[in-house]
Order: sequence, then structure tokens, then C-alpha cells
Amino acid sequence: MNLFKREMKANRKSLIIWSIGVVFMVAAGMGKYSSLEGTGQSMNALMADMPKSLQAIMGTGSLDLSTPIGYFGVLFLYLAVMAAIHAAMLGSNIIAKEERDKTVEFLLVKPVSRTRMITSKLIAALVNILIFNAVTFASSVGMVRKYAEGEDVTGDITLLMIGMFILQLIFLVIGTAIAAIYKNAKKATSLATGILLFLFILSIAIDLNEKLDGLKFLTPFKYYDAKLVLEEGGFEPLYLTLSALLLLGLTIVTYVFYRKRDMNV
Amino acid sequence: MNVIEIKNLTKMYGKVRGIEDVSFNVEEGEIFGFIGPNGAGKSTTIRTLLSLIYPTSGRATIFGKDIITAAPEIKKDIGYLPSEVFYYDNMKVMDLLKYSASFYKKDCTKRIKELADIMELDLTKKIDDLSLGNKKKVGIVQGLLHEPKLIILDEPTSGLDPLMQQKFFDLLEIENKKGATILFSSHILSEVQRLCDRVAIIKDGRIVTVEKISTLKENTYKKFKVETNSVIDKNFFNIDGVNQLEQDGGSVSFLFRGNINSIMKKIAEIEIANLWVEEPDLEEIFMHYYEKEE
Repeated sequence: MNLFKREMKANRKSLIIWSIGVVFMVAAGMGKYSSLEGTGQSMNALMADMPKSLQAIMGTGSLDLSTPIGYFGVLFLYLAVMAAIHAAMLGSNIIAKEERDKTVEFLLVKPVSRTRMITSKLIAALVNILIFNAVTFASSVGMVRKYAEGEDVTGDITLLMIGMFILQLIFLVIGTAIAAIYKNAKKATSLATGILLFLFILSIAIDLNEKLDGLKFLTPFKYYDAKLVLEEGGFEPLYLTLSALLLLGLTIVTYVFYRKRDMNV
Repeated sequence: MNVIEIKNLTKMYGKVRGIEDVSFNVEEGEIFGFIGPNGAGKSTTIRTLLSLIYPTSGRATIFGKDIITAAPEIKKDIGYLPSEVFYYDNMKVMDLLKYSASFYKKDCTKRIKELADIMELDLTKKIDDLSLGNKKKVGIVQGLLHEPKLIILDEPTSGLDPLMQQKFFDLLEIENKKGATILFSSHILSEVQRLCDRVAIIKDGRIVTVEKISTLKENTYKKFKVETNSVIDKNFFNIDGVNQLEQDGGSVSFLFRGNINSIMKKIAEIEIANLWVEEPDLEEIFMHYYEKEE
């Protein structure tokens, strides 16, 4: 419990900053919708005329930009990337910082097992990303409702946020697993965010080039694509299974490697 | 009873040597010195004992329990002071000590106050703002606040002024009298000599010898330098136990091992201008043990 509290305190400032960031992102993003609103279907026609590559980069695809929720679907991509970056950095940092700051010598000579240490840290990280998700959810519902004119959007947003949460979890454990395996604590965070960027670019590349479609299983960003979630009104069982496997695998990797490894002191 | 038992402990960092085939025991209630030059493997041994790193081969027990499988349990009764103290910077001293105490299932508040008083440590300051010596004091209080049965110190005196060093040593002696066993690593022989009952000497990752301080003292050389008013016969000091005799005009220097009285009598026979008697430094002790090995 003391370790958990310590982590919550240590991450409080960063969580507040990230939360303010995401609220701003939602507000600014949806604010642009008001200028779009009046144009009606012409915006969709304009987007459809654009080259496919441009559509892919903007993340529009088949989303109906004339509806608030369709527009939010585009914004969601960026929210998801933001949430993923936060989660990956949090995950790698929460494990690696003890070695980077050389406090691991303090912590691990206390009567705590490495397993208990990781569990406490994972729970603290979990609470952090939950709060980030809740803030995103609340600000999204608030902003989208403003433009939705009574239309019920909460269900769709809830669905998207559940997707985002799974995405956050995946990147969190990618972060912790890298920090657990990799001895160089300073580079663990850069590596985690590097992998994230690669996966994100891969997901755009798949949108750009149909030949790459087979690679969509490799990048979690594709699993919780707004287009897919909004059209289907739910998640693909295959992607959920893949997510579960990734989560399980990377969590095990985090524990096993960290328990086995020499601390870098 | 042995508090620490180390058997053939080896730690390799890839192909680089950490320690090789280290074996020694620390008995309950003793102050055990662990000395060697930088890079000899003192910290590696200690970190292995604390399971911060894992041995390549060999094993060790503390309180009769395996250092790896029983690590969290063992650590309830271990206090550790690392050579370099690093803490969570944005914490106040008191917060850190409370955090430290929260890992042990007892109330340490009174003890923290006591120790902080002895070490003259300001509990309200931020750790960020502390000098090296004051950070070290935080380390000392932090290592002792739960009244550990085994205290492990890795080069504990660096950064402490002589006055504080004395207070710290007094503190250690009190803890020792109360029953705590102490493993004290250092590269400074004199501080080990003052406190310890026995020492292990480590060099290049291997234990050179485990010896009682008293035996070690008897067996080691003292460095003599005598300045005389008139030039004396070169062989005047050439008695049993004298080595490396050198003469440079009116000054004679040599190493002496044996009964100190015999050499003092010899010195008393002549008129001298000045006299230096020095304890050999660590390197010289090592030289002594190397010579013995060859």
C-alpha cells in the first residue's frame, strides 16, 4: 500500500498535466466542428474527393464528418495516440525510474519482493490510465453532446473509450515489459515511445496501401479503429482475443524478466 | 552462530569478473570488516547478499536462510547503508524516513527522532537541498531506524566530517553492544582497524585472507623513518624483522615487523633528530599478503 501511495503521489503532477492536455485537445478538436457544422454534406463530398492517401493520414476514411460523432471518430485517433503515449511512457518510467534515479538500492533492500513491487506499481499505473480515460470520456461526452442536439452519443463514446482503455493497457505493459527486459533505464522510455510511433505509422501505412492489409494484426491501433468500432457497434472478437493475449504475455514478461534480472546499480 | 555464510560465491558480468569463489562467514555479534581497493568486488559481494544482483554460482545464507529465495524475509532485519546515497529528490527528510519505516511492521517514529538528534539531522529539509554529508546522515538514520539485527555498510564514512564519523562509529558500537552484527566494507584500513574484530581482505575479486585484526596488526609492517644528527652505519638497523632498509644521508627508512620493543631499543641507542612511524597503507598490506602467497 505504501508503494502504491508513493507512486500515485509521484505521478500526480504528470497526470494532471496530461489530463489538462487531453481536455484541451477534445475542446479544441470539437470546437473546429462548429465551423464545419453548417456545411453539411458538402464536407463529406469534399473529403471523398480527396486522394485516398490524404484521407488515410487525416484518419477520416468512411466516417461521416457531418455528424458530431463521426467527426469525433476522426478526433478519437489522436486522443488514442495521446493516451497510448501517456501509457507507454508511464509504464516504462514507473519501472525504469528506480534504476535511473538509483533508488532501487533503497527500495529493494526493504522487505519487499520484486513481485510485490511490480504489482504495486502496475496497480498505480492502472489507476493513472483509468483516470486519464475517465477525464477523456467526460470531456468527450460533454463536448460532443453540445453539438449533438439531443442525439444520444454516450453509448458510442463509451464504446470508443473502452477501446481506448484496452489500447492504453496494451501500451502500458509494452512500456513495463521493455523496462523490465532492458537494462539501460534511460533508454527504456525512448524505446517504448519509438515502438509506439512505429506501430502508429504502420497503422496509417495500412490505410494507405491495401496490400499491407494483412499487417493489421500487428498494430493495436488497428484493433480499436473508430471506423470499425462505430460501424460495428462493438469490437471484433479476434482483436479482443489478440489484445488479451498481448496483455497477458507482456505482463508475464514484465514479472519474469524483472524478477530474474540483475539490478543496474 | 553465523549470521552470514558465503560459500564459493561467484559473480560474472558477462565475461567480466565481479567476484570469484568468495567464501567467508560473519558470526553473530561481531563487527566484521571487508576491505579492499576500489573495484575489488566489495560492492558486488554486498549487492549479491542483498539480492540486488544474482550470483553466477555458489550460494550464501543470512540468518540461515537463502539470500535469494528468502530475500524479503531476511531484509526485515537488515539495515543497509550504500556507498552513494540516492533518494527520491522531491521528498522531505521526514517523509522519506517515514516512507522507509512504512516497510517495517513497527512504529519507528521515536527511533527516527533519536537518531536524527544524535546525527544532528534536520528532518524538515528537502532532500534535494542537502549536502553530500547530510544525505549520508539520512542514509544512516534510514538504515538504522528499524533496529536491524544485521547492519551492512558499504564505504559508509565518505562525505562525513571526522566529528560525525566519530558519532557514527559510537552509534555503531552501541548497536553492536545491543546485539547487532555489522558488516563494514571500506578501503580505509584505519577505520576498519578501530571498529572491527575480524576482517576479510579482497583483491581482484578474490578473498586474500580472513584474519583477526589483532593477528593482522602483528603480522604487518610498520614504516619507520629515522633522521639522525650524524650519519650512522648502514647496518645499524639491520636486525631481525627489518626490511627494505634504505639510507639517504642522515635519514634511514625501513619496514619493520615483529616486536616493537626491539626496534625502539635500537632507536634509543642513537641520537635522533626526528622519527616517523607509520601504519602501512592498504596497498602495503596487500603487498605483504602477495609476498606470503608466492
